[in-house]
Amino acid sequence: MLDCGMHMGYNDDRRFPDFSYITQNGRLTDFLDCVIISHFHLDHCGALPYFSEMVGYDGPIYMTHPTKAICPILLEDYRKITVDKKGETNFFTSQMIKDCMKKVVAVHLHQTVQVDDELEIKAYYAGHVLGAAMFQIKVGSESVAYTGDYNMTPDRHLGAAWIDKCRPDLLISESTYATTIRDSKRCRERDFLKKVHETVERGGKVLIPVFALGRAQELCILLETFWERMNLKAPIYFSTGLTEKANHYYKLFITWTNQKIRKTFVQRNMFEFKHIKAFDRAFADNPGPMVVFATPGMLHAGQSLQIFRKWAGNEKNMVIMPGYCVQGTVGHKILSGQRKLEMEGRQILEVKMQVEYMSFSAHADAKGIMQLIRQAEPRNVLLVHGEAKKMEFLKQKIEQEFHVNCYMPANGETTTFFTNPNIPVDISLGLLKRETALGPLPDAKKPKLMHGTLIMKDNSFRLVSPEQALKELGLAEHQLRFTCRVHIQDPRKEHETVLRVYNHLKGILKDYSVQHLPDGSIMVESILIQATAHSEDQGTKVLLVSWTYQDEELGSYLTSLLKKGLPQSTG
Amino acid sequence: MAAPTERQQEEKEEEEEDWVLDSLGLYEDLHMFDLQEPTRVLEWSRGPSICVAGYGGSGGDGRSEILQLGLPPRLCARDKQGLCPERDFKVERGGFSHRPVHGLKQVPDTSLLVTSGPPDSSLQVWQMAAEDTDVINFVSTIPAGNASEKSWAKIATAFAENPWVLHGSRVSNVQVTEIESKRSIYRAASNNSDEVGGLEFLDCNTFLVCSTKGRLSLADIRQPPSPLEGAPVSLALGGERWCMGVGHSPDGGALAAACFSSGGQLTLTDLRSSSTPLKQATCKVPVPGQNAEFLGVSWAPALEGCLAVSGFDGTVHVYDTKSWDDSSREAAPVFVHKGHAFSGASSGAVVTVHTWHPWKPRTVLSAASDGSLHVWDWMDPCSS
Repeated sequence: MLDCGMHMGYNDDRRFPDFSYITQNGRLTDFLDCVIISHFHLDHCGALPYFSEMVGYDGPIYMTHPTKAICPILLEDYRKITVDKKGETNFFTSQMIKDCMKKVVAVHLHQTVQVDDELEIKAYYAGHVLGAAMFQIKVGSESVAYTGDYNMTPDRHLGAAWIDKCRPDLLISESTYATTIRDSKRCRERDFLKKVHETVERGGKVLIPVFALGRAQELCILLETFWERMNLKAPIYFSTGLTEKANHYYKLFITWTNQKIRKTFVQRNMFEFKHIKAFDRAFADNPGPMVVFATPGMLHAGQSLQIFRKWAGNEKNMVIMPGYCVQGTVGHKILSGQRKLEMEGRQILEVKMQVEYMSFSAHADAKGIMQLIRQAEPRNVLLVHGEAKKMEFLKQKIEQEFHVNCYMPANGETTTFFTNPNIPVDISLGLLKRETALGPLPDAKKPKLMHGTLIMKDNSFRLVSPEQALKELGLAEHQLRFTCRVHIQDPRKEHETVLRVYNHLKGILKDYSVQHLPDGSIMVESILIQATAHSEDQGTKVLLVSWTYQDEELGSYLTSLLKKGLPQSTG
Repeated sequence: MAAPTERQQEEKEEEEEDWVLDSLGLYEDLHMFDLQEPTRVLEWSRGPSICVAGYGGSGGDGRSEILQLGLPPRLCARDKQGLCPERDFKVERGGFSHRPVHGLKQVPDTSLLVTSGPPDSSLQVWQMAAEDTDVINFVSTIPAGNASEKSWAKIATAFAENPWVLHGSRVSNVQVTEIESKRSIYRAASNNSDEVGGLEFLDCNTFLVCSTKGRLSLADIRQPPSPLEGAPVSLALGGERWCMGVGHSPDGGALAAACFSSGGQLTLTDLRSSSTPLKQATCKVPVPGQNAEFLGVSWAPALEGCLAVSGFDGTVHVYDTKSWDDSSREAAPVFVHKGHAFSGASSGAVVTVHTWHPWKPRTVLSAASDGSLHVWDWMDPCSS
């Protein structure tokens, strides 16, 4: 099972996947060999504790190390919001999250993991977020590659997705942005800087709620560069809880970030910026412009919510939401346009500050998808995670460019496609030796037909000579011999006719062995040609052409050649 | 040419970053996109959306894609909306053309598209609105009048009882054809083999043709076929190559033709009396050389008297003609967009086409030969 996510748009049971699609009878643990989670976003792992602890699954769950470290944090946050804030009951508990994570087996990039004696999996770097991976799943010579979410252009803290030419039978790719042409990263960053700059210039305060990892680092690096260049003086703060956690995770997973980050990390601490300082809650009351990064990311509790309440009433201020907000959080409410919020104790908070939303998420667009297909060279492509709307054009584009089939199944639909499994066959040495001894060696332009018998016995395939096969079966061998008579007009004596035929064949069949035997017959390879006079007509000679079943091809060819007649002048 | 080294890449990225940061003071808004295939057409369509198409035939089997791109919501918003994060184009429809697309026009009030391109001057007709698919389907061909004519036709479309297309590669084969029936509505009676630099319908009955040699002719389809001799747009034509754009002049709002030459001459002609140019100026732009085929000039629909020129290098120049006279003096642009020099892998990209946003006064879209597509809204220096 690939991923196990939540549908963020629903509040009831529709937010969980319908696992009865997998099997209606029998336990999921028996049916599934393993579960693979591509990355820590809730639409890919949000239903995992529900699946393993409430529906019931005890098999292995595979994910990368960073995903294993970060998933439980996000799941716990999500659980808190849903249960504590919204008072839901049919939801997983903290203990369930812990129990679920005990079933997780962490994997490294490019490490082949044997799930059982038939199934193996391998993770590839996907970019997108820290720890995101694409997975190749193999059984024998058949394989499927699943992308999860990925992006093909590197950004400030993550590299681009990469897969080798693994030629999977099927590539399952996300197509969230398949039909978009995305504005460049630079311009989106420019927009962010412009808003921050304008707010700070008019003396306002900018609040940026962040999750501990990912975008926060990027935005800090961006602001630091900008502040340095524009010689800006307004203070930028970063809440301390963030610094510690982020530093910790980045140190752990440094190999997952990109080259640039690794270079800077070696030189200095990730969070020792010149212009960015640690935040103290008292600073929120300081007059004048400032920028603050604070957790949590959806404004649902803690420091970011505290600061928000202080600054919301002033229209000079701005809050920039850098990511998706779950329903029920303050973040989600203000992004939906709500400007009057009910806080604890029935207090109404009027939101006059500017509310902005920046989408920095990195997904592959149409160009990126084509790039990935070009890299992996799959035989078939299946698109998921996209819009229900018809994507006929993209399907045609992929099919025409790569000459593969492209599928876009709906939920519940089964897609069938064909693979070309490789079946190894052992050939007996004797057979190989015999075939190479007979006649000229086969070459690409003149393939030779080899006769052998395929024996399929006890899960093995062997190719042996027909005699060997017959012997093993205890059967006697029969010989099949063909004889053909070709009439030729030639009044001369038989041995002269034979000479004519011999010279003629020798001239044409340059690559074959043509012999004139002492007894007056001709041998072409192992085919015998004899000439006799016609019983009733001395002017006609009868050529007898004789060959065994194995030489059928050459025999037929010789016959048709001789039927065409002999050239006039041969001595 | 060797692939750029890592150091060169880094330098280029730094340059681009510098330019984008500098741009904060120059543009209200800036979007930079990367198309898979460079386009030399930008045609507005319903949605609002914009149609682009490949001309290099770099797709598999020499195919070029035609795409209808839905405008990012941010560029559709009529007033300044805070919460408009969507900055991306959406591919609404796509089609496959077997020849490079050099000209593309939508027929007004229909879902038909007409394209043209080498190897001859025939036209291809496409259907965009099929309900159950997002594929732009090929419908029919309007054959080239003269089979031996090797250059591709310039096109303009109109809807007059029926969809019509005005097309021609040379002045001698300029004609108006009814798209669905392929019936010929009007043919010019000309022997002039000069190439067409531009053609436009002024209304259902009249059209304008500008030859690449700089002669402007007006024709009325209700009249007998015209020889389209035309009048020179400038007294100093020289050996330059000309193109044309039709819009409303700042004086009295009458229709005027702006003609732009590869030598930098810009002339405005009042179409009520096309005998002498209304205004003239010289623009300081580099000589395009063999890329004069991308030369283009267009009037701003919502910024009185302004027009933009491009096609000589990787920049787009915007001029305000309100203060011009007929003296051919050198004019300075009110704005120059330089972004295409920093985007994409190759320096030396040429802007292939540009177009104005229909109602945002200072928003322009420009595309270049490296596949970049920019949407920019420059800051009005007067307001702050």
